[in-house]
Amino acid sequence: MFLALKEMKHEKLHYGLIVAMIVLISYLMFFLMGMMLGLQNENDAAIKEWGTETVFLNKNSNDNLGQSIITRDQLSGKGQKNVALVGQAPVVLKEKGASKESAQFIGLDPDQFISREKIKITSGRQAKGNNEIVVDKSLSKKGYHLGDRVTINSQNEKYKIVGFVNDAKFSVAPVIYGSLPVWRELRGLNSSAVASGLFSDNKLSKNTYPDLQHYTVNEYINKLPGYSAQNNTFTFMIGFLMVISLIVIAVFLYILTMQKISHYAVMRAQGIPARHLIIATVTQSIFLMVCGVIGGILLTLITSVAIPMSVPVIMNWPLISLMAVGLIVLGMIGSLLPVRMIIKIDPVQALN
Amino acid sequence: MSKLKLVDVNKYYGEGISRVHVLKDVSFSAKAGELNLILGPSGSGKSTFLTIAGGLQTPTSGKVLIDGIDIEKLSSKKRDELRLQKIGFILQSYNLLPYLNVADQFKLVDRIKKNGNVSSEAFDELLEKLAIKKLLKQYPSELSGGQNQRVAIARALYTNPEIILADEPTAALDSNLVKTVGQLFQDLAKKEGKAVIAVTHDLRLREYADNVYELADGKLTLSKNSPDQ
Ligand SMILES: Nc1ncnc2c1ncn2[C@@H]1O[C@H](COP(=O)(O)OP(=O)(O)OP(=O)(O)O)[C@@H](O)[C@H]1O
Ligand SMILES: [Mg+2]
Repeated sequence: MFLALKEMKHEKLHYGLIVAMIVLISYLMFFLMGMMLGLQNENDAAIKEWGTETVFLNKNSNDNLGQSIITRDQLSGKGQKNVALVGQAPVVLKEKGASKESAQFIGLDPDQFISREKIKITSGRQAKGNNEIVVDKSLSKKGYHLGDRVTINSQNEKYKIVGFVNDAKFSVAPVIYGSLPVWRELRGLNSSAVASGLFSDNKLSKNTYPDLQHYTVNEYINKLPGYSAQNNTFTFMIGFLMVISLIVIAVFLYILTMQKISHYAVMRAQGIPARHLIIATVTQSIFLMVCGVIGGILLTLITSVAIPMSVPVIMNWPLISLMAVGLIVLGMIGSLLPVRMIIKIDPVQALN
Repeated sequence: MSKLKLVDVNKYYGEGISRVHVLKDVSFSAKAGELNLILGPSGSGKSTFLTIAGGLQTPTSGKVLIDGIDIEKLSSKKRDELRLQKIGFILQSYNLLPYLNVADQFKLVDRIKKNGNVSSEAFDELLEKLAIKKLLKQYPSELSGGQNQRVAIARALYTNPEIILADEPTAALDSNLVKTVGQLFQDLAKKEGKAVIAVTHDLRLREYADNVYELADGKLTLSKNSPDQ
């Protein structure tokens, strides 16, 4: 510790630069992670809110809820225990004095579990009948208020907003909860169509509805349009940054060690064991990483406070801590190269 | 019994045509309580001799014995330990760590060798004698060459070593300081019973030495013997 700290204190600029580098890299990593989670949330928040475990769609829907229509006979006469019928339609919401908004209409049966248990109203009340809707809270910032009468698509019908819900996002759009008959109208379907898909908060087997395509919740979410492509992009960038940070620390420590060979040689000549020098180097590396990561976390914190609400960023602190620990471990790995050099130092060569 | 002994040491550097024979059948013995001076021109192999004697490098052939133990037979860990405990090295260059101030150079030793270092009174006296007491807060880059050298001497003596190996310890010192260092080395030998070996081309140190050797063309010859031998 003594050697490591004294040295960093004396070479503030060198070590400051390394720390600054790690601050920026870790900040970028944490922020990308936040964006990844934010975008995931925009895609699947509603599905998560429903506690979904199993999804059934039409077999020809190409995994897309929007393309899927389930008819009464496809339910094979089986009951609808533990499942909820969900009718989905992409819509445009309009109101005088508010901006036009793209949204996802979700038609539900008021007696099934999603309506009964999963829609947590933050203000207002649950919708009753066909002319009332409950919408995502984000719309309240776009000029939509409780009691407003709005139009959906080019219908003549007006719908009354009676409640707001948190975290009602699907396919990167706010959700409008309404009734299944309205969904049918929006899609221009007759009464043989019962829903776009079946969602259950239980783990149901394939055989529950043999005529339908079965998905576990993860299978389904990963098949949301663009979802896995997006995740892979972010994961790749984060992984790449991890590798870069490893290279940065290894290269910097390597260069610093090169410059210090004569110092190490003096100490070896004085009988200071190599172990001591190795501990100093590894300590330094851990110290640099810890400082850098703390800096990155601080920047992330500031950003998460300062960033406008419209940017979907979610800071998952347990995950960030995990990444921070990962970075520190990488720092230790990065110090292995200089450690090898120290072991190999021949004091006499270095002293000439 | 001799504290440090070299038996038929040969040292070659390089390979093939560029192979040079730097030390030729060098035998040498240093007793506790004696100051040995090895004189020789630049490039004669003085530093080579000293680094071999201190176990920093191995001879091509021959043996180095410290307290009768062949140091080549020791593990590198044991050799480190031996250097730390028994040998005070004053190197020709790069003796001090640039990022430690003078006081910290000694603190570092305390952290690694926890026992047997000089007492704080003796340390104080040493700093006084070498006139470096006021420099404790300075970094090596803020010291003159001679001040650096004196701190290096103090640093080597701090561990209270039985054997002191000094490479050109007076190269950067004026006549007064040469006297001080000569006297200091003599006292270390006479009063504290240490084996002191200094290699140098500084003839001013001659008068303090018990034995004076000359190193020329790789051969070591005795040129002055202590009267009591
Ligand atoms: N690592 C090495 N590889 C090859 N040759 C070396 C090496 N170290 C020293 N030599 C050669 O060995 C000879 C003796 O070198 P050494 O450093 O022992 O001389 P010295 O007497 O200490 O000189 P000076 O008084 O200038 O310090 C020189 O000719 C030098 O070029
Ligand atoms: Mg030399």
